[in-house]
Amino acid sequence: MFSFAGRNSLTKVASAVIFCAVVSVAAVDAEMEGMEVDQRDDGTFLVGSPTFYFDRALGSGGLHSESELWSPSKIRQRLLFSRLSVLPSWDVLPPSVWLKTGNELGDLIYQDFITTEDRPKNRTPILEGGFRSPSFKGFWVTARGFQDDHFSTRTFAYRKKLVDSEFALFGENYPMFSSVYAGAGYTGSKLNVSALAGEEYLWLFYESSRWIPVHYKPRVETRLDYGKLAATVVYEDAEYQNKKKKETGSRKEWNGSLRYGCGDACRKGFLHLSAGVAFRAVDDEGTVYSSLEDDRVLLPFMEMQFRVGNRFAARASFAVNDRDWLVQDSIEFSPVVPSKSGITLGVKNISGTRLNPMADTREFFDGDTISLTADGRMDLVQGYAAFTDTVGNLEMGGRGSFWAEYGAETFDVEKYVVDDIMVYRHGDIGRINDWIKGVTGELWMSIWYKEMFVFKALGGFERIDGEEKRFEVTPAEYFASFSADWLLRKSFRISHSLRYRSDAQWNLRSRDPMVIKGDWFWDATFEQQFPKQGLYLTGTLLHVIGDEVVETPNGAENHLRFVCTVKKTF
Amino acid sequence: MFVWTKAFALVLAFAGFALAQSLPDSSKVQSLADSSKVQDVAFSNLYVSIEGGEKYPFGDLVDAVDNAFYAGLGVRYTYWEDFDGIILFQYAYFEPHGKVSRINGVHEASGKLGLDYRWRLISPIAFGAGFLCNWTRADYEGDKEDFDYNHDPGATLTDNETEFGWFARLNLPVFTLDNYRAGLNVLWEQLWTQPERSNMLTIGFYVERRIW
Repeated sequence: MFSFAGRNSLTKVASAVIFCAVVSVAAVDAEMEGMEVDQRDDGTFLVGSPTFYFDRALGSGGLHSESELWSPSKIRQRLLFSRLSVLPSWDVLPPSVWLKTGNELGDLIYQDFITTEDRPKNRTPILEGGFRSPSFKGFWVTARGFQDDHFSTRTFAYRKKLVDSEFALFGENYPMFSSVYAGAGYTGSKLNVSALAGEEYLWLFYESSRWIPVHYKPRVETRLDYGKLAATVVYEDAEYQNKKKKETGSRKEWNGSLRYGCGDACRKGFLHLSAGVAFRAVDDEGTVYSSLEDDRVLLPFMEMQFRVGNRFAARASFAVNDRDWLVQDSIEFSPVVPSKSGITLGVKNISGTRLNPMADTREFFDGDTISLTADGRMDLVQGYAAFTDTVGNLEMGGRGSFWAEYGAETFDVEKYVVDDIMVYRHGDIGRINDWIKGVTGELWMSIWYKEMFVFKALGGFERIDGEEKRFEVTPAEYFASFSADWLLRKSFRISHSLRYRSDAQWNLRSRDPMVIKGDWFWDATFEQQFPKQGLYLTGTLLHVIGDEVVETPNGAENHLRFVCTVKKTF
Repeated sequence: MFVWTKAFALVLAFAGFALAQSLPDSSKVQSLADSSKVQDVAFSNLYVSIEGGEKYPFGDLVDAVDNAFYAGLGVRYTYWEDFDGIILFQYAYFEPHGKVSRINGVHEASGKLGLDYRWRLISPIAFGAGFLCNWTRADYEGDKEDFDYNHDPGATLTDNETEFGWFARLNLPVFTLDNYRAGLNVLWEQLWTQPERSNMLTIGFYVERRIW
């Protein structure tokens, strides 16, 4: 619930600020872990595939999307070319067994017999099954197979020509990803260790706007958490191919991270510290469509949080190596801290030579080398003020911000290449060496009744100004979001959200800008719960009233979909 | 039209017969919104059933497939005091109407999950609703490459096809004897197909046994 009683006010207001960013996620189930962006409209969220989307919350400032920005909190996320993604998630789930299936709605079935002209395109399913055993003296085993065939039909014919198999663990829909893993682990009071191995097919979206097939065979991931120490080591043996051009290549990659946070004594004090290092090392052979400078990257980082009472807090993270540096920091001050409301004034800054210093540095496209790095640096500064107030079962809040960014990363297009429905681009990553400024405003409210009902409403606007308009995406200017979560008789959940987003526009992926028209969307989840038995039967409708349009360049239509899940927890 | 009249009359007759059964104890029936006094009765009773009947295509679907017999299995379990959970598995074999396609027929396996509401005013009749998932595949022994997917009727069914939808139903118990019950299942289902939604009416008899 959203009662903040008992917390200190700064935390409360910080929660309110974060609330603005996450409220639209609500409780509607994502079709797959990591696809939560498809249920968000508190900003600009455009999905072209499970493996490629643009995700920018309206109040976040700057022109980049969240998945383009590296941060220490994402060291266990997947690197999909240059973006960080939860999907395909190899995070081990709690002990349970589950099965999920779904479909883009709109197959012909019996309509096939009476529809001979203008037949709709094939709709494709989603499949997932997995388990994690209960612990036996701390030891457990797990396995998971999952693939998302949604968003695959529009680019099916193009992608089919590039590979010599169905490029999936099962089926013939050429899904955008298909993954299976199995492994074992141990969970104790202080120690958590796991080792997983599996196989994975991925279609990655490159800066040239090409879909590149990557087959990991195998992929191995090990994790160790001991006290404040967290370590991850991944080995990937990736195969690349382009059957059309008779090209093959391979990349053997080691990547991972090590992180150490200060102990309990530090946590009780006013200063929190953690430090670590993220790394990648690759060995490419044959034709691989991108490269990493020196075949390796090592990125040491440090995080700090400094707090004085409940009025002042400062956070900062630094990452630096011989090629790049990236700093993200914020300072928040709360001048008013009454018991059930609060005001926060804050300043946020992001500066660095590259949004994602861990990503590859060059892409190769038809004899052209696309530089994925740009000279110089970017600086983003954002000032904001937020308030929250609570009256009985009603809570309301708002946030206003001003941001300015210099040196924003962009793409300097040299030419476009059209291949049927696909459009590619040549050029290099560049910078907008000019100030881009934005002003944002958000208001929200929440009403709840016991554990049975929560209603949330959120609205926001953003105005962006500047001489230069070479943005990858011109974000939506307005959004409104209404969501309600019901828990009837403590065992039947209905979660739904109704949302509107205004027009957004891709500027640099085709000769003419690609406008994604504003629209309303409705999603809903219905769930029978049997808490005593640990059984959950869930059905989710996604993208119900919105037009089924292509939301990203070279992407596929965002169709109406239904997904059902059966889960038994142990 | 005669089939529909007959089916409607049959349903009415059974509904009247069912209504003549004794009303259950309604003192335990709770308001849906009252979540504070809920007792966990989930799975306190569980029933399994066998079922058979006929499926009638509706609307434009009558030009696509003929009526078809179906058979199925069902599970009903206590969810709340006045709600039951229902799980149905049904199989049917449809023949194309008027030989519109080269394929002989279509195998359909249907899974349904939903809730029955035992409203005391019409007890023992219950009405329910839920989601369904139908898997289909053509009964065709030739090469599926013979079909033009863009034009030939039935072409997409030569591969596995799955579609979801929703259903609403009336559960009309007629005879109750100790642990056994027999009745009529009248079910309206809609598949979320394109270019039009596909509607069917299902009418079947079931025999149900209480397991615990």
